[in-house]
Amino acid sequence: MLNFMTKRLFVAALVAFTVSVIAFSLLRLSGDLATMIAGEDASAQDIEIIREQYGLNKPYHLQYLDWLGDGVQGDLGESMFYPEEVTALIKDRLPNTLTLAGLGVLFAMGLAIPMGVIAALRPDSWVDRTALTIAVLGQALPGFWFALMLMFVFGLFLRWLPISGNETLAHFILPAISLGYYSTPAVMRLTRTGMLEVLNSDYIRTAHAKGLPTFVILFKHALRNAIIPVVALSSVQFGNMLGGSVVTETVFQIQGIGHLAWESISRNDFPVVQAVLLLVACFYIVLVLLGDLLNAWLDPRLRVT
Amino acid sequence: MPPSDTKVAGKGLGSLPDDDDRGVPSVESVMQPDAFTMFSRRVIGHRSFMVAAIIMITLIIVALFAPVLAPHDPLGQDLDRRLMPPVWNEAGSWTHPLGTDMMGRDYLSRLIYGARVSLIIGFSAMMISGVLGTVMGVCAGYFGGKVDMVITFLLTTRLTLPVIMVALALVAVVGGSLNTVILVLGFLLWDRFTVVMRSATMQIRNLDYIRAANAIGCSTRRIIFSEIMPNVLGSLLVIATFEIAHSILLEAALSFLGLGVQPPTPSWGLMVSEGKDYMLFDPYLVMLPGFAIFLLVLAINLLGDGARDILAPENRN
Amino acid sequence: MKIKHLAIPAAMAAALALSTPPAEAGKSDDTLTWISNSEPDNIDIYYNTLREGLILGRHIWDALMEIDPKTGEFQPSLAKSYKWIDDKTIEFDLREDIVFHNGEKFDADDVVFTLNYLADPNNKVKALSRTKFIAGGEKVSQYKVRAKLKYPFPAAMQYFASVIVIYPNEYYAKAGPKGMATKPVGTGPYKVTEVTYGKRFVLEKNENYMKGGPKTPSIGKLVFRRIEERGTQMAELLSGGADWIWRVPPDLAQRLDGRKGFQVTQGETMRIGFLILGASGKAGDHPMTNLKVRRAINYALDRDKIRKTLMGEASRIIHAACFPTQFGCIDDNVKRYEYNPEKAKALLKEAGFEKGFEAEFVAYRDRPIAEAIIGQLRRVGITAKMTYLKAGAYRELRRKKGVEIAFGTWGSSSINDITAIAGNWFQGSSDDNAQDKTVIDLLNQGNTTDQEVRKKVYAQAFERIADQAYWAPLFSWVYNYAYVDELDFTPSADEIPRFWAAKWK
Repeated sequence: MLNFMTKRLFVAALVAFTVSVIAFSLLRLSGDLATMIAGEDASAQDIEIIREQYGLNKPYHLQYLDWLGDGVQGDLGESMFYPEEVTALIKDRLPNTLTLAGLGVLFAMGLAIPMGVIAALRPDSWVDRTALTIAVLGQALPGFWFALMLMFVFGLFLRWLPISGNETLAHFILPAISLGYYSTPAVMRLTRTGMLEVLNSDYIRTAHAKGLPTFVILFKHALRNAIIPVVALSSVQFGNMLGGSVVTETVFQIQGIGHLAWESISRNDFPVVQAVLLLVACFYIVLVLLGDLLNAWLDPRLRVT
Repeated sequence: MPPSDTKVAGKGLGSLPDDDDRGVPSVESVMQPDAFTMFSRRVIGHRSFMVAAIIMITLIIVALFAPVLAPHDPLGQDLDRRLMPPVWNEAGSWTHPLGTDMMGRDYLSRLIYGARVSLIIGFSAMMISGVLGTVMGVCAGYFGGKVDMVITFLLTTRLTLPVIMVALALVAVVGGSLNTVILVLGFLLWDRFTVVMRSATMQIRNLDYIRAANAIGCSTRRIIFSEIMPNVLGSLLVIATFEIAHSILLEAALSFLGLGVQPPTPSWGLMVSEGKDYMLFDPYLVMLPGFAIFLLVLAINLLGDGARDILAPENRN
Repeated sequence: MKIKHLAIPAAMAAALALSTPPAEAGKSDDTLTWISNSEPDNIDIYYNTLREGLILGRHIWDALMEIDPKTGEFQPSLAKSYKWIDDKTIEFDLREDIVFHNGEKFDADDVVFTLNYLADPNNKVKALSRTKFIAGGEKVSQYKVRAKLKYPFPAAMQYFASVIVIYPNEYYAKAGPKGMATKPVGTGPYKVTEVTYGKRFVLEKNENYMKGGPKTPSIGKLVFRRIEERGTQMAELLSGGADWIWRVPPDLAQRLDGRKGFQVTQGETMRIGFLILGASGKAGDHPMTNLKVRRAINYALDRDKIRKTLMGEASRIIHAACFPTQFGCIDDNVKRYEYNPEKAKALLKEAGFEKGFEAEFVAYRDRPIAEAIIGQLRRVGITAKMTYLKAGAYRELRRKKGVEIAFGTWGSSSINDITAIAGNWFQGSSDDNAQDKTVIDLLNQGNTTDQEVRKKVYAQAFERIADQAYWAPLFSWVYNYAYVDELDFTPSADEIPRFWAAKWK
């Protein structure tokens, strides 16, 4: 087990390092930063002065080493636009994204698990078909379009919920639905499959034979077993939502890291983009690592690979 | 003929969803009809697959014959006829059945040409990622050892990167255009191909007859092409449809965010983005292209689902 | 798992219960919420180059003098009066009864500190285009101060009466640039009570604003929020989440105008649009180096149609390469190019391009207008291929490699003097596509405090620019302001909405 863990940790660290190199080199390739900082009405002379002031003429590999060295100590540099440290900026924005993704996963699970269970209990019934239809439609909906429609209907037309921003929890409801809906099909399919498998297994049949109430069998035995892979999948979906929240955050003007990444990309704010990319990747690495370890702990056969 | 094919066909019958509708008597299974008859029967019997196929074929025809079908030039602007409503609106007219956009361009024509853009991007990106992913997957599965280690590492790294953020950053660096989007998506979406091909290759490689072929001195390339590829073609096809859908959705999202295909190219995602300012007053500008994306992706997904049922019915559920 | 199932609807219900009416807004609580599409990266006026930053800054701080937006005359503000000592020195007489938001007294030390701060390159001031002419400050007495300029700069008072605002020296020494960015302190009509980057800024009325000052505030609270999507801005306005938005596209403004409870006002700005025609041939030997072709392009543009459909009625056609109210913008004898596609085609034929030609066309904003222009050029046989770039990349391309045709706009930093536009575009800098010795020489002669000489040479310079068709000037930019109709608001041409002058009806 220990050997297995060390190996996994080593790979995870190596992946994180590779991502950091990718993140760094990706953004350095884009346009001239000094021109961007100087603003719309700046003259050529102004830009030269700014280039020198910000020290943007160092060779790239030195800039990377500087960045990595500081980054390891928790200093990711300063934003080129906001008068704040990148870490402070991310600390401000991260809670919004975590809330959004958290509510999104909650929504997906809240919708998908009951539907999956019912669908498995009554295969090929109208419930099953409806659930399947919702799943299929959900996968085909363009996220940004769905978000706009939600905003239009519930925000403006019915006026039930706020349109944009992230001031109260209510501001997160529509975005969470639009983000979570996309994960619903996968979670539902997995719940349904898992439940079907468990329900057909010998020990459930034995439970039935023993005369246990259906209710107890369903929740205490069947769902409990079927839910483990669903939870694992949901945690990966959570990781995906952190990275995929860009569109939702942009439509609903939620000041999270996705939105931050998008606006930083469009104005070449290297330090911020690098940090966000790295952060999202690290979140994902940790979530997958936890999933791996959990699975390995539950199923010793997996430890070999 | 690879042995697995007959196995699939024979075993699949019992679990077919529409068994009763077709009323296929069990006599036929006893008589062992040839694989092709079985296959085409399953295709035709699969309702959602057929519906999806019809939508898909229609859209492909629309895309191919766009210049003939479009009533106007999709780029031709007319500043005097801006934001005309569709024909079902009182103020609409048959000159522009779906109205015009903010530059006075015919919306129907733009939607028709938009099908082209989406399909070109979907197919091209899938081809790139398919070739890339398959080659990597087969190499990892076939050679194992260090090759497998390196490829698995690349795969892990790729899965770690948030696709949409990296795509946004890449497009921002290179500059948005049809080709950039295709390349960026092609080089980002190979993971599923690699995963599936790697495990499939590994499984097959260990089968006795492949070992035998290896032992009697068949070349590696020949084994891969004549033995492994035909076996995984079904799964490949299914992944390919999903990746087309995935690419189309991602292109739409990138264009929506302003870092995808550039105006005045009629891309559906871009059209939603251009129309969203007007959503409150002219909702058709957002509804129509959004629905078009939805319809196309839905059809492709249903095709993929259907293909999976038809090719390997025992895997259903 | 049972518990979890119950928890989800419970959480949703709780979330709904927490829901408050969307943001505080409106007359009822004396709060004006204004939304714009970008947010200043730093609320400190000298560390951002964004319009919104300038607007917030003008509410938080004061300049030495103020310009009356209607008459263009200088009004007393922090200073009672000013006089030019020589062409590089201005002397200001300061008011003696002014305090900063934190209670610090205002005097000459604050002015000297601010001017010296701006002149020191180590401070990395970002708004260089507004401050680069400043050499420093000199204290004469506690309430008398001299500003030193690096070179004779006749438009300097325009800057001292708008964008050169004064910092509190003692607070700054303590708080530094970081403090100023998070807890800014000034003398202006509004003091800052909340700075949350990425969320909102809140400003409250400064009850101690200088007596009888030019910016006496009326509304109690200003909330600034950023939303970049125009559709969302509009939705917020319609649903009560915002009271004031601007830069509304004309089509949207038109549709909003009929709605009950809202008002739309059109206001001209100092921003003008133009095509830069690569006359100097920096980008190579292309048709733009031919005068006849440049004139043909000028004749090919139906400015009036684009102006009316895509900009708005309040926009006016520009003939000289400057904004009409700017000092020195004299277009009496400037050659006028009316819309005449036949003449354009004839000129192209004379130039040897009877069959037309292909040209590169670079743009960075106002895409619909750019596309409309391209559509009109196509009609006389010029196929313009558009490259749409980010502002930075656009500028870099123009300066380093040169372009054939570039679509440009310029807001002159709201400075009402032609040095703010011609100085950048025609005085030999890398932005100067013409590099015309005659024009450069004329503009250089204008660097004097003798206003009559300036008028004469500038008039000649603009005549020459138009005759040589270095640009195809288009029209002035118009902003549509949309707001709740309980608000009494007047737009001004310098793109600075004056919320201190706004009132509830």
